[in-house]
Amino acid sequence: MVSLKNIFKWYNTGINRTFILKDISLDVEAGEFISIMGPSGSGKSTLLNVIGLLDEPNEGEYFFMGENVLALKEKKRSEIFKTHIGFVFQAYHLIDELTVYENIETPLIYQNIKTSERKSMVADILDRFQIVGKKDLFPSQLSGGQQQLVGIARALIVHPKLILADEPTGNLNSKQGAEIMQLFKELNEEGVTIIQVTHSEKNAEYGSRIIHLLDGRIDN
Amino acid sequence: MIKNYFKTAWRNISRHKAFSFLNIAGLAVGVASCILLFTVVKYELSYDSFQPNYQQIYHVVSQTKSPDGIAYTSGIPFPALDALRLDFPQAKTGAILSNYGSQVTVPSKNGVGKKFIEDKGFYFCDPEFFQVFHYDWLAGSPEELKNPNVTALTESTAAKYFGNWKNAIGQTLLLDNAVLVKVTAIIKDPPANTDFPLSVINSMATAKASNGKYFYDSTWHSTTSNFQVFMLLPKNVSESQVNKGLITFSNKHYNNDKKEQKLNFLEPLSDVHFDNRFENFGDHVTDRSSLWTLSLIALFILFMACINFINLSTAQAVNRSKEMGIRKVLGSNRRQLFRQVIGETFLIVCISVIIAIGIAALCLPYIKYIANIEGSISFLSGQIFLLILALIVVITLLAGIYPAFILSGFTPALALKNKITSATIGGISLRRGLVILQFSISQILIIGTIVAISQMSFVKNSDLGFNKEAVLVINANADSAMQARQPAFKQKLLQMNGVKDVSYSSDVPSSQNNWQTNFGFDHQPNPDFPLDVKFADEDYFKTFGLQMIAGRPFGQSDTINEVVVNETFARKLNIKKPEDIVGKEMRYGGRGEWKTIVGVVKDFKINSLKEDIKPLAIAERKNQYFVTAVKLNSTNILKTREAVESAWNEVFPEYAFTSNYFEDSINDFYRQDNQLALLYKIFALIAILISCLGLYGLVTFMALQRTKEIGVRKVLGASVQNIIYLFSKEFTVLVIIGFLIAVPVSWFMMNHWLDNFVYRTNFSPWIFVLAIVISMVIAWLAVGYKSVKAALANPVKSLRSE
Repeated sequence: MVSLKNIFKWYNTGINRTFILKDISLDVEAGEFISIMGPSGSGKSTLLNVIGLLDEPNEGEYFFMGENVLALKEKKRSEIFKTHIGFVFQAYHLIDELTVYENIETPLIYQNIKTSERKSMVADILDRFQIVGKKDLFPSQLSGGQQQLVGIARALIVHPKLILADEPTGNLNSKQGAEIMQLFKELNEEGVTIIQVTHSEKNAEYGSRIIHLLDGRIDN
Repeated sequence: MIKNYFKTAWRNISRHKAFSFLNIAGLAVGVASCILLFTVVKYELSYDSFQPNYQQIYHVVSQTKSPDGIAYTSGIPFPALDALRLDFPQAKTGAILSNYGSQVTVPSKNGVGKKFIEDKGFYFCDPEFFQVFHYDWLAGSPEELKNPNVTALTESTAAKYFGNWKNAIGQTLLLDNAVLVKVTAIIKDPPANTDFPLSVINSMATAKASNGKYFYDSTWHSTTSNFQVFMLLPKNVSESQVNKGLITFSNKHYNNDKKEQKLNFLEPLSDVHFDNRFENFGDHVTDRSSLWTLSLIALFILFMACINFINLSTAQAVNRSKEMGIRKVLGSNRRQLFRQVIGETFLIVCISVIIAIGIAALCLPYIKYIANIEGSISFLSGQIFLLILALIVVITLLAGIYPAFILSGFTPALALKNKITSATIGGISLRRGLVILQFSISQILIIGTIVAISQMSFVKNSDLGFNKEAVLVINANADSAMQARQPAFKQKLLQMNGVKDVSYSSDVPSSQNNWQTNFGFDHQPNPDFPLDVKFADEDYFKTFGLQMIAGRPFGQSDTINEVVVNETFARKLNIKKPEDIVGKEMRYGGRGEWKTIVGVVKDFKINSLKEDIKPLAIAERKNQYFVTAVKLNSTNILKTREAVESAWNEVFPEYAFTSNYFEDSINDFYRQDNQLALLYKIFALIAILISCLGLYGLVTFMALQRTKEIGVRKVLGASVQNIIYLFSKEFTVLVIIGFLIAVPVSWFMMNHWLDNFVYRTNFSPWIFVLAIVISMVIAWLAVGYKSVKAALANPVKSLRSE
């Protein structure tokens, strides 16, 4: 599903070049649950951003579902990623001005789905996550675990093939964290490919494969 | 999707109440100012445009070229009317003759009847005038005005005289206690935005038959601006064609020689309200440049409100970067985000405009009062509606595009990591540039306002050369019946305690009326400059406190054997010592009787301070005493005035009593300038207020952004003063740069404006010092509060939040 070939990412700091990613090659098959681990500054989040097309590498090739995405036009690329990728963040990144319902609805709006259809889709997912009673609350009125639940619901609403999660439990306590990881596991069993970045060995265990990063390289 | 945008926009507005308030308040005040100024300008531009043939009507005016320069007048000689009709048969040519302050008496069976003084709106017209100008005739027709001693009234004047206009037809009126006329027609009241405020329209034939009572003169020599002629040109005849014809016409009819050439030419009706070379029958001529100034101020204000908006929105962009990042991650593309931000701007602009319409509606009566608009104006017209639509679109684009461009351009990865700061947005230099621009604009307005105020007070306090306080001026008729009783009236007044002096004259010392003639001096050929003439009795000098610098005022006499001239008269004739002119002889016109100059009066202002003092001669002539001036004791003025009125009614029962204080009529001279100055003041203040709002918002943001920096500095030992200095330093520099831009611009603009005045205040450097001090104080006040608050904040708190 995801195939990275010799990816480099760097910043120019003065005369020096600081490498974030160095020669990363990685293949992820559909249905996998991958955990990326590594110390701070090892390039985990950058790697995830490159996979999610939030960031472009300076060098290398990236095939997503067989398409050479770096060669695609912006419009086509955003089309692919709108329909196939869902994001989950450590800091949840809900839109503060929107209610739970509206936050979950937003990705559908950008896919030009009709109002009535949106309604039933959001209702389904609220039901599934048992947060129907919270649909009119604003993010600031929710606990961290609940916010992350909304974040995941929002990522899932478009039925993505791939979920990218950047330390999804980083801001949660262990109980909430375990619940979220359990949820990921269930999703994976339903066939969704998941790539998560995590610090925690325990959370990494939920995955089917662990990739260690060190100073921008895959450390085998 | 639109709904979603508006929802977010609305919540954004309500979450950031302070900023929304600054944005909306600034825009609303700006838009309201725009609407009001537009209404004023539009009203001025609308004068007489309701005439169906507006574009084809022309005013025949005159200019006289002499070695002294070019003199303009809006009148032409009476016989020129028939000559024009003969020479320009393709045009329709109509004439109108005005007389200010005529008395109309509605006779009654017992007593003298009801007396009305018509200060304006008293005219004589020929039927052709109504072929040029269109009015609605409720009764009768223009054709009736062919005959002498007939009159048409406007609806409201007829109602004033007879209760209801329907009762007026067939009734008789007595004009100036001399001429009886019959009311034969009624016209609908013309709108207020006209320079022809008709109320009593007598037939021109009545004036012709009045033996010169109403200026009528069959010679080509004299011209009065009371007699004006208008032409309606057919569509196939152009202005320039007729102007060419008028050159031939002028050479044929006037004695044009090398020294003096007289020329008639056309002034379009659309210029009548704006060309200050020519008088009109309305109450003012509006200089087009002041309309331009007002429009420019409106634009300035709008522009400043937009700058505020851009400043605040880009500053706020930092806070919104996260939302934008998330939206991108959720699949929004740049165009959608762009549209969203523009949509938000649109919403804010719409809210502001709605509030602005409310503000404008509330302020309209005041503006009407200040701008001296008499007619009913409403801004709910089609044009204003278009203006509002245009404003919404322009402001949305002007204020929204840049922030939208910035906000939609964030890289989502950076935005989500909160790595967007004002530094990464860039545009700091742009924002600084905008603040500088705002400060230069507001300082230009401050300087302009100070200059306008100081010029007005200079005019007010300058030595006019006469005493204007406590002089009651009664306008009178100078017919023989009145002349006979004038001495008795004077005696009666002088017996009153409250009356110091009484004088009869043709005119007060300073007025807009002028009576010019050529003259002879010392039995030499006529000098080549015209002479201003006033007629007065011997008490004139005492009553108005005029000072003699040589000779004496004339003694009591029945003829004009003695004459007093002013200093300028002597100087123009190259006589160095005023004493030397005393005893010389002069005469009015080319043929009059020679009179002896017995005294020289110190120069006083004859016209407004916009004009130079002209050579003047004062002599006695009883049939010209239209003005009774009564110098009152400054105590008990009201009571004395009442006594004067009852004395008048005793002596002159058939003449209406109308009086005003001389000081008021002098102030009236500068009314338009004062009004303009007031408008400038108000709107300059608004502009300054708007820039303050923007500044305050900007500082608030800086304080928020630099919370951490301030915390660190305080931990490192910075004092409160150090922190305040940090903030004020930047703004002080911006104010100074703005000042440096404002100085040359305002210098140029205000010098240009002051050139309108002959007597002008000098442009002192203190004005600039004052301007920069005012802007500094304003800037520091706006910055001060927030920076003190930021400086006093507990550093532990601000550092922990990171």
